[in-house]
Parts: sequence; structure tokens; C-alpha cells
Amino acid sequence: MNDTEAKNDQNKAVKLTRTDQTKVPMGVLDGSVSADWQQCALACLDGVYLLNAKDKQHQRLYQHDSWVSSVHWVAEDLIVSAGYDGAIQWFNPQTKQPIDRLKLHQFWSWDMALSPDRTVLASVTGQYLAGGYKYEPQSESEPSVCLVSVKDRKVLHRLSQTPSVQAVAFSPDGRFVAAGNLMGTVRVFEVASGKLAREFNTADFTSWGIIKSHCYLGGIFALRFTPDGQHLLLAGMGPMRDPMAGNGKQRWQKWKWDQAEPQRVDQIHDKEFGEGLMEALAIDSAGDRFLMAGRLRGGNWNAALFEGATGNQLTTLKTGYRVTQAAFSDDGKRLALFGAQGQGKRNKEGEHPHFGRIEFYDA
Amino acid sequence: MRPKHQPNDPSPPRDLRYGCGGSEHTVHRRLFLEGSFAAGAASLASFSGLFSIPAVAEETKRAGKKCILLWLCGAPSQFEMWDPKPGTETGGPFAAINTNLPGVQVSSLMPKCATIMDKLAVVRSMSTKPSEHFQGIDALTRGDAPRPPFVRPILGSVVAEQLGQLDSPVPQFILLDPCPEGNEFKAFKAGNWAGWLGAQYGPVRAGGDYGIANLEKSAAISDLDHSDREALRSFFTKKFANDQRSEAADNYNAAYQRVKGLMSCAPLFDLNKLPVADRERYGGGAFAQHALQARHLIENGSTFVMVANGMPWDNHVFQHEMHQMLVPELDNVLFQLVSDLEDRGLLEETLVIAMGEFGRTPWLNEARGRDHYPKAWSMAMAGGGVKGGVVHGATDSQGYEVVDGKADNRNLFATIFAALGIDPHQEYELPGLPTFHRVEEDAAPIKEVLL
Repeated sequence: MNDTEAKNDQNKAVKLTRTDQTKVPMGVLDGSVSADWQQCALACLDGVYLLNAKDKQHQRLYQHDSWVSSVHWVAEDLIVSAGYDGAIQWFNPQTKQPIDRLKLHQFWSWDMALSPDRTVLASVTGQYLAGGYKYEPQSESEPSVCLVSVKDRKVLHRLSQTPSVQAVAFSPDGRFVAAGNLMGTVRVFEVASGKLAREFNTADFTSWGIIKSHCYLGGIFALRFTPDGQHLLLAGMGPMRDPMAGNGKQRWQKWKWDQAEPQRVDQIHDKEFGEGLMEALAIDSAGDRFLMAGRLRGGNWNAALFEGATGNQLTTLKTGYRVTQAAFSDDGKRLALFGAQGQGKRNKEGEHPHFGRIEFYDA
Repeated sequence: MRPKHQPNDPSPPRDLRYGCGGSEHTVHRRLFLEGSFAAGAASLASFSGLFSIPAVAEETKRAGKKCILLWLCGAPSQFEMWDPKPGTETGGPFAAINTNLPGVQVSSLMPKCATIMDKLAVVRSMSTKPSEHFQGIDALTRGDAPRPPFVRPILGSVVAEQLGQLDSPVPQFILLDPCPEGNEFKAFKAGNWAGWLGAQYGPVRAGGDYGIANLEKSAAISDLDHSDREALRSFFTKKFANDQRSEAADNYNAAYQRVKGLMSCAPLFDLNKLPVADRERYGGGAFAQHALQARHLIENGSTFVMVANGMPWDNHVFQHEMHQMLVPELDNVLFQLVSDLEDRGLLEETLVIAMGEFGRTPWLNEARGRDHYPKAWSMAMAGGGVKGGVVHGATDSQGYEVVDGKADNRNLFATIFAALGIDPHQEYELPGLPTFHRVEEDAAPIKEVLL
């Protein structure tokens, strides 16, 4: 048996086994696990929570003026979050004290990434407003991509992209930052200079409504550089005739971005997808496997593990809730999923059931 | 006994003309003498006096009244518009902002309307029954639940029939909707809009690909030839009408007259003929452009213009991603429309309505969307007989229930008719049909919002 055959056999045996699960009061839009995998910072609709993975105790640490869209466990004494209020907040989870707040955008922060060396944050924004008769997006009213120093809490660069810019990621070496938008345009910038390094477009994630509405919807909801830095994985949902149906194909694409003419080199394979918005991507540190997850609208899974080299589907999950974020442990053996069920009606006591979800898996 | 109204009754004559594209806005002198008999009617106690005034005063009230309906099909979220619940579990991600009415807030997606709340009447206590689109659209455009096989006319048809100029070359009821589909709205659009009022009160549709075809007079026919042909056609039409009364022929002639009128009004339907500055001010999207066109059509003699754009508000999925685009567009459109009408001295006679068929759930579904919710929702009006600076009704802290001023579709239609000077409770005279009123069960208008 050669190495490839051995790997294939190994992959066939891949299972995702849930080891733990817990609920929090409000939906979770993002989550970040501490280095020792013992604690999580959760970006919830009503604030940033701290979850103890062992005893499942949770507490709300602080709030934004709106929903919290992103959170990063930067160090044992530092959590950084971004929100629909367009602000970034720095918070010390040990002292339970706020450190700083920076109002970064006029509109909300859709996504925020942390550079691999944990020194730079990238937050993306942009309100989709009708620019033309067919609802072509207006050009930006403020720069859509902001790079911020974690330590100094100062803006390093404000960079241009067409709104709405919904996903952002750093390259593994921290030299580049990529931002994807509603219209399927990806811009890759040099972090040090802010210079535009590459731009490409894929129309495969964006809908222009035919059935219910004439407007655009969808776009790129998650992107990640592969560990070798040469490719970008994009995730979202295939086009729909009815943008509000949420029944586009679950879709990822892999792009070779670092060449003069970026090229799509792979995408989710036929017969391996159902319907639903995919908004979470996680790649293990070796690049052997990646996970795409989101909401199930039709089909058999809403989270699936794929082989990094071939893109072949290895195993799937049907979680019963919308997955908004996923993360592998450094050794690739553990996986955390974050998300939300429907909020549900309030009960007789006037309370809503807890609808935030966190799950841990052995991969 | 309530006076009866006869649809399709061509008399008394509607003898004033609108100049197509001109500035002369006349009022028709149809005197609803029967209005004077309404004085003794006892069933309007909830707003007594409104229609017990002399006929001339009655006519003054309705003179020149027009209506623009911004039809927010699919059902917008009250939380992201008129009834925000910031800081609650169900409030969503958008903040609330103060308005120029002390103590009244709206969603932060509506900064422009926040500055003209003194001109708007907002109803925060709509509570209706249908929870599916088709039935909701039916109830909120016709005013009542269906009673097959009888088809109640849609609001625009009633207003056109009551207030419009049948012999105007400008269509009295226009639907501007560029979206050929629209899910349940598509099915609704394919139905009978004018109902028992007859086809001549149905809408002329325009917008997007719905350009009105064949409006150009053929170059091969001289004006003189055209006029001769029209005289000949008119002669035979009258002869046929005298010899043999036919509903089909009446409808055909109504359609012919409409097309003839449209030919003279073609420029009114050309968006490119509208001032560039106005087009930019309203915004680039189809809905905004057609709202501007609605203003233009109203200024030039139309009576009821309904502006729609398919069914974009049905955001079970992408609720906030969609509302962050749709609400600012509506905010600007409403602001520009109300301001323009006021600047032109037309606001007092033009009722602007912005509403959908129901509201959205307080709770979020798994897709972070909001589902259908008819139990407690909001809508807004301005101008034309409606009092500005009024917020009627209230919902509880999370928007689950109406706690004050509950109003349903009948109350709303009674309000709209009353604002336009149309007797809401008049009985239709429909020989051989059951008894129908414009608004059934004597449902009272929301008097707080009426001037």
C-alpha cells in the first residue's frame, strides 16, 4: 500500500463523533476557542459570552450596541470582537474588564479576521444599497476593508471593495488579506502596504432575483487561504431564482489566486451537495481536510468534511441547527461548531428558549 | 336606509378633462346627491358627522383626491421600520432613532422619515387574520376576505371608480411593477382586480419590461386619416350600442378608449423623460424610479397609482441582509414623495400609503429570518385627508401583541375611504347579487388619523 492509498483508506474511515454540546441563550454568530481548548469566546446576538468547555458554564462578558458578528480569542487576557454596531471592542476575560472600543465603520462589521501572528485585525463592512434600476450595488460610502493593529488599536489601512463585503481572511504567512463580497468579487491586498495584489470574480454565489424580487443576494459568506497560501477556498450558496428561498446549492470553490490570472481549480463535486447557505469554512493546519458548514435547506447535511487535495467529500453531519462558524484544534483532532437554531416563541413565563448552539467533535 | 351605489353608472356626466401632461388639474363635478341622505343614517356613530354633511361640502372633501399606494408586497418587518424594539431579545440588529415627534422612535434604517414624522400617520396596531400571502394580499388590497364567486374590487379600482375621470386619457388606475413574477403576488396579479366594478376600472400595468406597446401612431397614417377612422369607429360603436346592449362590447370599447388615451399619454410612462435630478434624488432602484413616476402620473391626471416590485419583502431567509437594502430605499422614497407632494401643494389632496399584507414574527427562525405575522404589525400613511404626526396604537415590549388601538383590514379601509372622501359603508347596488358594502360590518375608521 503506497502513501496515497493509505491516506485514502484513512479518509474513508473519517468520522466526526460528537463529544460534547451545550446551549446558550441567544444565537451564536461566531466562536473562538482558547489555545488549551478549555474556553470559548462566543459572539452572540446579545453580547460576547465566555463558555467554559468543561463545565458548560457560560456568562455574558460584555455587549456591543447591536449583535456581535465576530470574536477572536487573542490571548488568555485578550478577546477582541466586532459587531453590527460597526465597532471593535477589546476585553480582558481574566479581569472581566473592557480595554478599548473603536468605532470602525458606519455600517455593521460583517466579519473580522485575526492575522496568524495575532497582531492585525481585518474587519469588513458595507451596506448594499440600490445603485441602479436592477439593484446593482452602489459604490462604497466608506472604505469596506479596515486593517487595525491589535496592540495599538489604530487603523493601519482602509481599503476599497464594493459593498457589501461579507467575508475576510488572512494568508497563513500574514502577508495578504482577502475580502469577498456580495457580487462574488474577491480582492487580495498586501497587509504591509495595503496595495491591491489580486482581484477576481466568481458569479457562482450571487443571485439576482427572478421570482419574488429583482435584486441581488448571496455572495461569498466565508473564505480561507489554504495552509500553503496558494489557494483560496470560498463558501456560500449557488444562485437561486428566488433569492429569499435559501435553496441554492451548498457550494465551495477553490481558486489559485497567486497568479496573474487567478483561476478556479476545483469546486464542490456533483452529487455531493444539497441546498442551503454555507457560511463557515475551517481548514486543518496540515491542509489535509477542510470543513464547510451552514444551514440545511434541502438534502442530507449542513456540515461536511472534504479532503484538501481532491475536494472529495469524506463525511457529513446533519446538526439540526445553522452552523455559523467552525474551528479545528491545532492538531486537527478536534472540531468546534457554533451556531443557532430558530429562536422560537416565548413560553408561558415570557422567556424564549435558549437557541445558541456549541458542539465539539473528535475528527 | 343607506343610499346605494351603482357601479358602471355613467351618469351624472364626468364632464371635466385632464390635460395630459399639462398643469391643469380640474375636479370632476359629480355630485353625490345621495350623500345628503346619509345624514339620517345611524350606523356611523363611531365617526358621526363625517358623511352627514351637505352634498356640496361632501364633494369638496373628495374633490381632486388621489392616492399612491407603495405596495410592500411580501410583508415588511415592523421591527426594522415603524415599531423598533431595541435591546430586546427579538429586536434584531438595528438600533432605534429619535424622530421629530418627541418620544417616538423608528428604526435606524429610516433616518429620512424620522425627519418628517410630523407629516406621517403611523399605525402600529394592525392586527389581521390571513397569515399566507395570497389571502393577505387579497384582504389588504380589497379590504375584506373573499366570498366566492363574488369578486370585491381592489382598492385602486374603487378609488378610480369613485374619484377618477372615466373619460380622461390618462389611466385612472395604474400598476407600476417591473417584476413579471412575484410568487403569490404573481397569481394575484393574474386575477380579477376590478371585480364587480367591471374591467374599465382595472389597472393599466407598466414598469420595466411592461412598457406599453404600440403606442406610437403609425407614420403611414396621417392625422386626418386617423381622425376619420376614429369617427367611423365611433359611429359604428354607437350604432352597435343602440342596437344591442352587450357587456363584452362595453368592455371592448373601454379597452379601446384606454388604449386611445394611452397613445396620447405615452410620454408619461417613459422614465427617461423624467428629470435626471429627480431620478437621482429618488434613487436608482426600480421601486424608487416608479415611485417618482407615480408622482408624475398623479400630477398629470391619474387618480390611483400602485407601486410594487414583485414580492421582495418576504424575508424568511436573509431578513436583515435584505431589509438593510429595502428599508433605506423605502425611507428615501417616502421622504422624497411626501416632500415633493408638499412642495407642489399636492399633499393635502394625495393620500400616500405604505404597507404590505402583514408583518413579520418577533422571533427569528433558524435562518435568522422573520416569518409571517399578521397579529401585530405596522403601516404608514401621509397626506390626503390623513393627519400628520400621529402614531396610532401600540404593541407590547417584544411586539407579540397589540396592546392599544387594534385595527384590522376593515378599519384600515374605512380609514382610507374616509380620508379620500368616499363613504366607507355605502352599499353597492349589484342586482342579483348579495348585499355588499365598501367596508362591511360598519367597521369604523381609525378616527385619530383622520383630519
